[in-house]
Amino acid sequence: MNQTDEALMRAVREGDLSQLGRLFDRHHRAVYEFLVRTTGQRAVAEDLVQDVFERVLKHRATYRGESGFLPWLYRIACNARADHYRKLHPTTSWSEELDGEDESAGPERVLESASDAARLQRALLSLRPDKRELIVLARFSELKYESIAELHGVDVGTIKVRVHRALKELRDKFMALESTSHAM
Amino acid sequence: MRCEDISARLADDLAGTLGDDERNAMRQHIAGCPDCRRQTQGLDVLWRALEDIPVAAPDSRALRARLDAAILREQAPARPTAPRAQPRQQWLMAAGLAGVALLAGLFAGRASVSPPASPDVVALRDELRDLRHMVALSLMQQQSASERLKGVGWSTRLEGPSDEVVTALIDTLRHDENVNVRLASIDALKRFAEREDVRRAAIDALQTQRAPLVQMALIDFVVETQDRDAAAALRRISADDKSDQTVRTRAAWGLEHLGV
Repeated sequence: MNQTDEALMRAVREGDLSQLGRLFDRHHRAVYEFLVRTTGQRAVAEDLVQDVFERVLKHRATYRGESGFLPWLYRIACNARADHYRKLHPTTSWSEELDGEDESAGPERVLESASDAARLQRALLSLRPDKRELIVLARFSELKYESIAELHGVDVGTIKVRVHRALKELRDKFMALESTSHAM
Repeated sequence: MRCEDISARLADDLAGTLGDDERNAMRQHIAGCPDCRRQTQGLDVLWRALEDIPVAAPDSRALRARLDAAILREQAPARPTAPRAQPRQQWLMAAGLAGVALLAGLFAGRASVSPPASPDVVALRDELRDLRHMVALSLMQQQSASERLKGVGWSTRLEGPSDEVVTALIDTLRHDENVNVRLASIDALKRFAEREDVRRAAIDALQTQRAPLVQMALIDFVVETQDRDAAAALRRISADDKSDQTVRTRAAWGLEHLGV
């Protein structure tokens, strides 16, 4: 029988820890995609996936299920990612944690490439982290706007406006990178 | 439709949740409004192009193995404190140690004057072996790590140790909080490497132990015993960038020496 995420998570909360493996199988790829697209680094994203599911295990008793499993899971993923960068840059605030991170890019980061996809990735990674996170959540996660709004503690109309604004900024950064590469 | 409605409509359109009528109304407004045209131009193309950013696939098997290990750690009962030696047991152990010394003295004396196969000598030898078993098991349950270390040491001097002793050594490897005691248990278990339960325990421990010294000793253990069933665990360690680099290198070395 195909149990819902919520039923599996309730079972985990009640002590049937093996059900966490099923939740992992269902959602780890989506969580990884969210993390790799927002960090730009595969190794970091894999470590964070591990961290996310270990947090689910550790904090299973706090799962209440009113808003469904996925928003709870993604809230943990957002927190894990923010904590990771807070440890790396303890003096920077969350909203500016990754500003200018291109300068510290790892080997897995595609920085100099002629392709539009690479330039788009670079533009995405140069956005402020909260805007980048919003675009990736809206574009790639299994969450609807209503759940993303709940995740951010705002109403759904505000989230839609923020998605539009973040996309405009992404477009402008992408265009700026394009004109820079043509000028070179 | 007003300009301030466009943001919400656009977001819905991109998510594929906007109805045909609303989409037509939005497009009509944008076509006649230069400002909204500027605000929305190219965003649908950009939205689709995000899909083209390449994303490397995760190592799902390694991630799942790490989660399984975390679940196992969570499920493992805390090392019970009750079996740790209580005052009465400590007294028994002291008596046992004295008995072992006495019997060892008698045994040495008898052995020097009697033929080796006499019934008395056999009986004494049995007594001595039983006492040594009891002392080893009791020591392994002590509160003090140095006493538990002694217990593991005693177990290595036993002739034909019982299943109970081997099980106690495996339990020590799995649960003892002291790294030195766990390391000693790995050395002690080498004598029993032909046993299936011991080999399985070593492979399980490879996946759950986090102390680098213990991990290194376990890698050496599976290489020395040429246990090819450990190959998967070694591969996971060598690929796990959360593991200590020395351990990862040792795991790669182990794979080479197992010839897998």
